[in-house]
Amino acid sequence: MGLGFVVGVFGVLILAHAAYSTIQYRGLLKITEEEFSGPPMNVVAELLLGLVFCMWAGLTVPGKFLSILPDSEENRIVSLPANLDFMSFNHRGKVFPKELDVKLKL
Amino acid sequence: MVSKTEETQLSNLENQVDNGGGGAWEFLCLVRKLKVRRSEMVLKHGLSILRDPKKRSSLGPEEWTLYEQVAIAAMDCQCLNVAKDCIKVLHKKFPESKRVGRLEALLLEANGSWEEAEKAYSSLLEDNPLDQAIHKRRVAMAKAQGNMSGAIEFLNKYLEIFMADHDAWRELAEIYVSLQMYKQAAFCYEELILSQPMVPQYHLAYADVLYTLGGLENLQTAKKYYASTIDLTGGKNTRALFGICLCSSAIGQLSKGRNKDDKESPELQSLAATALEREYKQIAPDKLSLLTTALKSLKVSA
Repeated sequence: MGLGFVVGVFGVLILAHAAYSTIQYRGLLKITEEEFSGPPMNVVAELLLGLVFCMWAGLTVPGKFLSILPDSEENRIVSLPANLDFMSFNHRGKVFPKELDVKLKL
Repeated sequence: MVSKTEETQLSNLENQVDNGGGGAWEFLCLVRKLKVRRSEMVLKHGLSILRDPKKRSSLGPEEWTLYEQVAIAAMDCQCLNVAKDCIKVLHKKFPESKRVGRLEALLLEANGSWEEAEKAYSSLLEDNPLDQAIHKRRVAMAKAQGNMSGAIEFLNKYLEIFMADHDAWRELAEIYVSLQMYKQAAFCYEELILSQPMVPQYHLAYADVLYTLGGLENLQTAKKYYASTIDLTGGKNTRALFGICLCSSAIGQLSKGRNKDDKESPELQSLAATALEREYKQIAPDKLSLLTTALKSLKVSA
């Protein structure tokens, strides 16, 4: 959690720095009156790095992925709940009284 | 619904609690969440928490839920004194509560005084005629007294009002199966599959009922539902695998004299048989010979 969060912040900072460098580069182009042919190398590298960091943080920080397959261990239903609303006490448990029949001391 | 991970978690906790490893409260919470019937364990460990004032007060408001849980478990174990004490405490805390009133009527039921319980339920119903739990209790009471037709009548009336209650549909289906009224049970299971199509147990039960009904058409449908159970469980349901084998053998016998144009997928049964053999080899190798003879007599093994 801590590590992922720090990496995410770092990624956002890198992206912000890339934006700042782009603005600077455009200002430089205006001054030298050159045509825009493509973003500079360091901006592209920063964008890619920021993308990787942000994606990694986004996938790890919020938590684990849950399975959506119906036959995975988490989703595979192995038994239905006992129908407790329709529970009846008239069963053979009566014949085997519990030795634990002590009063609740209050 | 109890999934595989939850089941293992429950059995682990059960072992831990039973061997004195602590975690009784977690166990009780899990039992409540999964709605399983472990009355003896709940009674034993719930009482040990309730007896200890320090542990009891650390639960906060959950304490009253525990009293209710222990009371019901005690009734199930026929420890009526404990149940009476728990209900007394709850009554003192919530004198006007309907929920406690229901517990008191439940105690009458456990005592076997049916008329008084019936009276208590009717007076509770007068205050709130749409109380689902009380309607269900009346069904359960009729069932406990052996009055199956009465239980069916009550349940049908109940289901006319609360059609979306799948627990009630399931109960009705189980009552019909116990009375061997399979056509009616099949209808209930159809209703259940419609409302919860992702639960393999309903597909399996429906297929079982259809297989029991017999007849070529029913058997073919049963086979399809066994197949859908396998699909939903990833082939880890042994009963469905056996069902496929039995169905295909029965279909083969029934359609022996007829033309064999509509003979469907012979791979399915051999696949099921292989899956069964693999599972037996893994889990119970000493029973493998029994399985192979059984499959041979069904003429399904590849």
